Amino acid sequence: MDTDRYLQPQQARQRPPTIFEDLLGDAIERAFAAGNHTLPELVAHLNREGLPAGNGQPWTEDSFSALMARLGREGDAA
Amino acid sequence: MTTIAIANAAADPVEKLLTFGPKNLWYAVCPSGFVGEKPVSLRRFGRKLALWRDASGQVHALEDHCPHRGGPLSQGVALGDRIACPYHGVEVRCDGTVTKVPGSPGCKLEGSRPALAFHVKEAHGAIFAFNADKNIDEPPAFTLPEELSSPEFSSFLCYSEWKCDWRYAMDNVMDPMHGTFLHKQSHSMAEGDSTAAFRIRDTETGFVFEKTGQRGVNFDWTEWGVTGTAWMRLEIPYPKTGGPGGNFAIVGCVTPINERMSAIFFWRCRKVDGWMRDTWRFLYRNRLEARHWAVLEQDRVMLEAMEPDANQREHLYQHDIGLVRLRRFLKTMATEQAQAAAG
Repeated sequence: MDTDRYLQPQQARQRPPTIFEDLLGDAIERAFAAGNHTLPELVAHLNREGLPAGNGQPWTEDSFSALMARLGREGDAA
Repeated sequence: MTTIAIANAAADPVEKLLTFGPKNLWYAVCPSGFVGEKPVSLRRFGRKLALWRDASGQVHALEDHCPHRGGPLSQGVALGDRIACPYHGVEVRCDGTVTKVPGSPGCKLEGSRPALAFHVKEAHGAIFAFNADKNIDEPPAFTLPEELSSPEFSSFLCYSEWKCDWRYAMDNVMDPMHGTFLHKQSHSMAEGDSTAAFRIRDTETGFVFEKTGQRGVNFDWTEWGVTGTAWMRLEIPYPKTGGPGGNFAIVGCVTPINERMSAIFFWRCRKVDGWMRDTWRFLYRNRLEARHWAVLEQDRVMLEAMEPDANQREHLYQHDIGLVRLRRFLKTMATEQAQAAAG
C-alpha cells in the first residue's frame, strides 16, 4: 500500500474484533438475510442457530440489546 | 513521468480558483483525531496550514508561514492560542496578530496582524476551516445536510487521500451511472438497469441529478449543495443483510490539497434508532466498513489512473449532464470571485 498519503481501511474501530464478535456478525447478517428484521425475530433466529450469548445462555431481547449498546457505541465520542 | 501542461493555472485567476477551490467557503480539512496539542502541518487548498489545540481542546489554524521570514510555525511551540515560530521565536496569535518579537522588542511587527488566520469549527468528527485570503473577524455559518445534522441519523466518517485533481473526485460523485459498471461487483450496487435517462432538478441550495424511473435500487441520484460549505449527498440501498433502517446515505466533501491530491470526506449515514442503531454501528465496525472501503478503492484506483488532462479531452453524453452542471456552477463561482478580486 502507498504510504505517502492517508489510506486507512479501518477508521471506525479501536481494536480488532474478537472471534465471538465475528461469529455474531455472521449470525446477525444471516438472520437479516432471512428477513428477520424485528428484534423478536432476530433473537429467535440467533437462538435457533445455536450461537449462545456471551454468558452461555440463550439470547433475550434485553441481553441482545445490551450487548449491541455496548459494542455499537464502543469508541463513539461522548 | 510525463506531465502535460493544462491551462496556465498561475496566469488565469479563474483557473487558479478552480484548481485550489473557490474561496470564502468552509472546507473539511481533516478528521478530528489528526490534531492534538502538538501542532501539525497540513497542505489544503494550495496553502500550508498549522493546526493545534489549546488546553480546552479548541482547534486553531494559521497559515504555516511565519510573517517574519516564512518559518514553519507548525514546528514551533504552541502556547495556548498562540504559537512561537521555531526560527526566531516570533509569537503569533490564532487571529494572525504578532504578539511578541523576542529578538527585537517593540519593533513594528509587534501588535500588527500580518499572519493569515483561518477560522475553525469541529463537527461530525472532522475539522473545518474557512478558506479566505485575508483575515476576517466573523465568517458566515455553515450547515450540512440532515443526514449529519439531525439526531435521527447515525454516521461514521471515512477519510481518504487520492492522487487526483479534486474536481475528478467531485465529477465521480456527480456520475451515478458509474455505480452500475465500476461497482457492479460490490455488496450494494448489483441491481437495476444498466441504461438510464437522467434529469436535473434545481433545489434552494444547488441541484439534484437523478435517474428517471428508478429510485432506491442502485446509485440513482446525487445532490449538490452549497450552504456555507459545498457538499454532495446520495443514497444507496443496502442488501437485506444490512438489516432494518433502509438505505444508507453518503454525505461527501472534497477538499483540494494541491493540483494532484485531494482530501476525501465521506460520511456514511443511516436513519436508525434504538437497537437498530446500535446493531448497525456494530455491523459497520465489524464488517460493513471494510466492504464500503473496497468500493471506495475502486473509485480511487480509477481516478488516479486517469491522465491529468483527461477532463480536457472528453466526449460527454446524457449521463454527464450532472457533472457539466456542477462544473458550470463552480466556474460561475470562481469567475465572480476573480472579478471581485480584480475590483
